[in-house]
Amino acid sequence: MTTAADLLPGTLDMLILKAVSLKPLHGYGVLLRIKQISREALDIPQGSLYPALYRLEHQGLIGSEWGQSENNRRAKYYTITTTGRRRLKEETAGWNRLAAAIASALNTTPEEI
Amino acid sequence: MLTRFRSLFLELRSRHDFERNMTEELSNHIQQYTDDLVRSGTPLGEAQRRARIEFGGLTTIQEECREARWLRPFDELVRQSRYAARLLLKTPGFTITALLTLGVCLGANLTIFAVINSVLLRPLPFPDSGRLVTIFNTYPKAGVERDGSSITNYYERRSHISAFSGLALYRHDTAIVGEAGSTERQQISRVSPEFFATLGVGPVIGRAFTEEETSPQTDKVVILTDTYWRQHPKAIGSQIRVDGNLNTVVGILPPNFRFLSSQAQLYFPFSSPLSQRGPLQRHSGGNSRQLVARLKPGATLAQAQAQIDAQNAALEVDDPEGKMLADAGFRSLVVPLHADHVASVRPILLLLQAAAFTLLLIGVANLVNLLLIRANSRSKEMAVRQALGAGRWHIVSEVTVETTLLTLLGGLIGLCAGAAGIRFLATFGADRLPLGNQISFDARLAAVACLGSVALGILVALPIAWLALHREVANTIRSEARGGSANHAAQRLRNAFAVAQIALTFILLAGAGLLGLSLQNASSVSPGFRADHVLTGQISVPWNDYKDWPARIAFDQRLLGEVTRQPGVVSAGLVNNIPFSGNSGKSSATVVGHVLRPGEFARANYDYGVDGDYFATMGFSLRAGRFLTASDSFREQRVCVVDQDFARYYWPHDNPLGKRLFRGPADTDDSRAFTVVGVVGAAKQVGPTETGAQGAIYYPYAFRTDDHVFVVLRTSLPPESLAVTLQKVVRRIDPQLPVSDLQSMDTLVADSLIAQRSPALLAALFSAIALLLTSVGTYGVLSYAVALRRGEIGVRMALGARPEHIRRQFLLIAAKLLIAGTAIGLLGAWSSGQAMRSLLFQVPPIHVPVLICVACVMTFVSLLACLLPSLRASRISPMEGLSSL
Repeated sequence: MTTAADLLPGTLDMLILKAVSLKPLHGYGVLLRIKQISREALDIPQGSLYPALYRLEHQGLIGSEWGQSENNRRAKYYTITTTGRRRLKEETAGWNRLAAAIASALNTTPEEI
Repeated sequence: MLTRFRSLFLELRSRHDFERNMTEELSNHIQQYTDDLVRSGTPLGEAQRRARIEFGGLTTIQEECREARWLRPFDELVRQSRYAARLLLKTPGFTITALLTLGVCLGANLTIFAVINSVLLRPLPFPDSGRLVTIFNTYPKAGVERDGSSITNYYERRSHISAFSGLALYRHDTAIVGEAGSTERQQISRVSPEFFATLGVGPVIGRAFTEEETSPQTDKVVILTDTYWRQHPKAIGSQIRVDGNLNTVVGILPPNFRFLSSQAQLYFPFSSPLSQRGPLQRHSGGNSRQLVARLKPGATLAQAQAQIDAQNAALEVDDPEGKMLADAGFRSLVVPLHADHVASVRPILLLLQAAAFTLLLIGVANLVNLLLIRANSRSKEMAVRQALGAGRWHIVSEVTVETTLLTLLGGLIGLCAGAAGIRFLATFGADRLPLGNQISFDARLAAVACLGSVALGILVALPIAWLALHREVANTIRSEARGGSANHAAQRLRNAFAVAQIALTFILLAGAGLLGLSLQNASSVSPGFRADHVLTGQISVPWNDYKDWPARIAFDQRLLGEVTRQPGVVSAGLVNNIPFSGNSGKSSATVVGHVLRPGEFARANYDYGVDGDYFATMGFSLRAGRFLTASDSFREQRVCVVDQDFARYYWPHDNPLGKRLFRGPADTDDSRAFTVVGVVGAAKQVGPTETGAQGAIYYPYAFRTDDHVFVVLRTSLPPESLAVTLQKVVRRIDPQLPVSDLQSMDTLVADSLIAQRSPALLAALFSAIALLLTSVGTYGVLSYAVALRRGEIGVRMALGARPEHIRRQFLLIAAKLLIAGTAIGLLGAWSSGQAMRSLLFQVPPIHVPVLICVACVMTFVSLLACLLPSLRASRISPMEGLSSL
């Protein structure tokens, strides 16, 4: 198991949007999915997931519906909305720009100046 | 933003479900995690423990979830409202007083605002009604401020004024509707063809009037209102008998069609013979005919006015009367239709709203003082809570929630009171105001009530929150614990509100006093006749059946002969227009030998046609010569009677008897002149407050016939008891003629005072409430001052102070409040008097006796209010006082 990195502020929303954009998930499923797609590299405080989910739903970026979970329990499934998908695209692009910029900045060698 | 409010709304609607679902979702998560841990080999107990720890604090997370949905402020609000409601229920005396005060004050405001909203604010029910205007002729220097418009004006202006997209002429009238013998007299309107198009609302079934229907030969068509049509279902093309003629129904108006204050159920074409459309009739307006026009999009009132002025100027060039018109200051004014229609009542309504608002301020001052006293008794609790870490914001919001809860409940009571108030106002004649038949509650009123209540709640909270925050926490806890002297800031604040209350009540009382004096002056004005024991009724005598004056005089003679034979009738007479009838048309006469002095203008005067024993019946006083008699209509030489004002103006130093005048412009035929044979006392025509002696001329009926006639009869019995007799007599002579407007002259005179009486009564009512509130307020403040100083009083008594010293001390406090309040009140009364100057009748805006009276009343009430507390103070026994330390 690799050491889990702490989340940068503001990135949890992005990760949740990404997770539910792949497939409708319940809360615990979101947690597992993020762990899975980040190859266990990110450590998400479990409790903080729910306020974030509620906030995203409040903003209309994700929707929710009650359904049956895999082990036949009543569970609340989250799906991404059109607005959510648009937001995810914007944030992904923004993140990539930022990451590229920081990477290029950090990779600078004295010769390149 | 919108989605967030929607989501909040949905959650609030199912608050319970939200909580349940959230709990379930979170516990599911923990359960699933536990299951996974167990599956990976952790013992169950350890798995449960780890799952819970890794999940984090459940309550915190739940709270964060609620916050994410904006539910927290709402939860807080609910909690604080519950707390406030509990507190209010614990002190029912305070709560009931506060709610009643608010209910009465807000109710008064909402009632008056309902009238203002319906009369002044709500737009007329026509598309783009702000572009509707009216045009009227004015001859200010001849004493005629407003003279409607003539038929000629209409024909000359329509399609000639480019600023108007439509121009129409209309006249309110009455007609007998129904088969022969029917005596149902209805309000109707006569309108020119463009009328409905100009308003923008026309018949929904059938059609509007056409140009051909403006000729008297082809005008027998009618348009029905929806109301009339529902009561009397008539198909298009069917016929209705009106004034004896069959009229074809050509259109039905939509429901709720309402033109200004008109009650007309039937609309007829405004027809006129060509002879009435010529230049000679240009200035024969008379207030019954009015123009309505619609400004073209983009055109302004000023442009329309300029175009009308230009047209008038061009027409005056070839008018033989041009010079006279210019001397009379003739102009045709273009004014907005709605504003013009309600102009007469605007100032009085605004005054009443100001009075109601003052009442509200007084009530609020009372409420704030009650709340301050209450807050003081809870100051220790507040201080302890603050010391224990309650945030400032929390204290402020708690106070605000409590006051807003109070004002909202008060507003609710106020809404009910307002609904009742509107009905109550109808007894004050509100339904007779222009547009007064449309006074109602609407969404705007409800919104104003709600927003006003909330705003008031926040406003009331300010001083209390300020006090709560500015108290030194440590001091309060200590001083309260020791029962020491009251917080000075709080006492000063309470005193300030008591002073404000006294000052506002002073202003209100002074205003009511001025209105009352106006009413008294108006009702003590002699109308110029004896109104008691006189019955009046109007008979419409159609020209179709009574074609010339001999026929009409014959009818008059027969009627008078039969009426005077009835038991109880002392005398009877006829006139074309009785005083206070609401009709006040004037015309002009030419006095032979009178040369206009430089700067003098041709004057308009009232002119009447009388028959029978009119003067004696009405109780006119004879100043010189004789009254007119029935035989004067047949006399070879024309005679007339003038009133004192007329005689004084034209012949200030000569004997008026034997002087001669022409009705209208001077005539070359000398035999058409009237010789003055009598002078009678001047009578008011419009109402008791009419000023400016216009003068009046009374002609024998043959020379001043009209299509209707008023019967007046003097009786030894109660006048109303003869109404049926009069109707029977008229029906015996001609069953076709209905008698309408049967009223005693006393009623007419009393009704004419309504413009003075209603505001005065309302102001008096407001003042009485204000006085009550102020006395309660002063009482409360002083009682509390006494209660706070029990210990101090006890010490002083123990040290030998006499009861009267203690009494004097508290009376002195009351006197100080009174003097400060009166001083400010005097200033306020001065400015409010100036503001209501135009509404006063023969009363100066600053009336010293009124002010002295008000000061006396205020002193009396304040002293009465502080008597009880100061007596209580002087009866405190030293032991009792000391024990409260």
